[in-house]
Amino acid sequence: MFNDIIVKNFSNPEFAAEIDNATNTIELGNPVCGDRIKVQLHIEDGVIKKANYAAWGCATSLATGNVFCSHIHGAACSDIQSMDKANIENMLGELDPSQHHCLEMLHKLFEKLQHTIAVQ
Amino acid sequence: MHASPSIMSLKDLGIDPLKAVVSSVSELYKLPQDTLNTIKADLIIDSFRFHYENNKYYRDACNEKGINPAHIQGYDDLIKIPLIPIAKFKSASNHELLSKPLTAIEHEMRSTGTSGIPSISRRCSGTIDLAVSAIYAMYREFLGISKGAGLYVCPSTEEIPEMGMIKALNMLAGLLDTHRFMVKQERFVPEDAIAQLKTWDKQFTRHIIGPPFLIHRLLQFLKQTGQTLKLDKGSMVITLGGWKRFTGQMISRREFSLMCEEYLGIPANGIRDIYALVESNVVAIDDEHQVKHVSPYVHFSVRDINDLSKEVPAGERGILAILDPLALATPGMILTEDIVSLVPGESPSGRSGQRMEYIMRAPTSLEFGCCAVNLERKMDEDEATENACPVTA
Repeated sequence: MFNDIIVKNFSNPEFAAEIDNATNTIELGNPVCGDRIKVQLHIEDGVIKKANYAAWGCATSLATGNVFCSHIHGAACSDIQSMDKANIENMLGELDPSQHHCLEMLHKLFEKLQHTIAVQ
Repeated sequence: MHASPSIMSLKDLGIDPLKAVVSSVSELYKLPQDTLNTIKADLIIDSFRFHYENNKYYRDACNEKGINPAHIQGYDDLIKIPLIPIAKFKSASNHELLSKPLTAIEHEMRSTGTSGIPSISRRCSGTIDLAVSAIYAMYREFLGISKGAGLYVCPSTEEIPEMGMIKALNMLAGLLDTHRFMVKQERFVPEDAIAQLKTWDKQFTRHIIGPPFLIHRLLQFLKQTGQTLKLDKGSMVITLGGWKRFTGQMISRREFSLMCEEYLGIPANGIRDIYALVESNVVAIDDEHQVKHVSPYVHFSVRDINDLSKEVPAGERGILAILDPLALATPGMILTEDIVSLVPGESPSGRSGQRMEYIMRAPTSLEFGCCAVNLERKMDEDEATENACPVTA
């Protein structure tokens, strides 16, 4: 049911933490199933210096928070803005049908991050 | 610690005692109370030892309290078993609850209450094997259904596949000849439900299944439109989910029963409410006297609200602690946020084991309802927008 990417990111959630001096927060929620991911960012000088998250929901959505943070932590904002959607498609590996809503959440997290950077 | 001879005999034969007990519900309810308690304690002690040895989070919690498997030797020691607060299942750190690796998990089930934060319970294939047998055995024991039509006044599992309440009710559909889900896209149209019941007239014994608040809506519609139905001999109303609406208003069980009799023609002994918790594998189902019997291999310990280390006597209210030996992937030793009482004395049904009365969700809980409450709130919001349903319960 769970691929290696999900197992690794669920079992070792290295970015699951809170940031005291966050400059931005991105939050996503699904009102029906209740899955929720909250990402805190510290953006400075065009670089995402810190990215941490808290997630509530299925194992795949918890892993999604960690995958997202691991990809953006230390990244230049310009790289995020020029990111191709196709790059996101494989970040969670092969998913069961019941886990696909997490890939949608991952896409939305990137969209929200790009919007956050754009309005800064 | 020595297991009871009956458990040892099963093990000697290579039979899993858990698999044996979940399919022997009727036989267990016939045992003398002391014998049942011994069997139950043996299973729970085995389970406690497994989780202590395989779950760091739980082991640390036990060690903090100075408890290890050597301290739990028999039924009288069960009260010492450390409990996991149910809020942990909702926390962002609920991955710590796993006693098995994530690769062993087959199924995730959720319940989303009024806080909107889902409680996630993870089950391995072994737990699913047990839970499926356990739930069907309890349905057979207390509902005795093997045919008929089910009017499901709730959404389908297709719409909400991971919601525990719907999953448990949907299992019942496998025993029926036909069924229909009457809540679609979070909309319930009572006229459609009544039309469906009429379609099945004289073809099937018709049962109505769903959370109390939605069946109450159907009853209110019948009342307000002056309609009465006479369902069939053997028809049942089967409810699962809280009796409190999202507004906080309680649905009176007595009023509900009277309305079922008046508007559906179903007497009180045909109304069977189920207590279940997505985080455990226990179900407690009403017998014909409207008294809930706890799954005989699960132990309910009712704790003093002011001192959770103490139990209250049967008949007194307290916080429910559940010791569930069927939970193999996460510890089944759970402190709920439900206030209940155990029913004292002998059961008129002749069954041994524990019987319980659900009182209410603890006032200190962040949730006052289960996923049914969340569903109701969503339905009311949508209906207020669309003005789709003519009934306000």
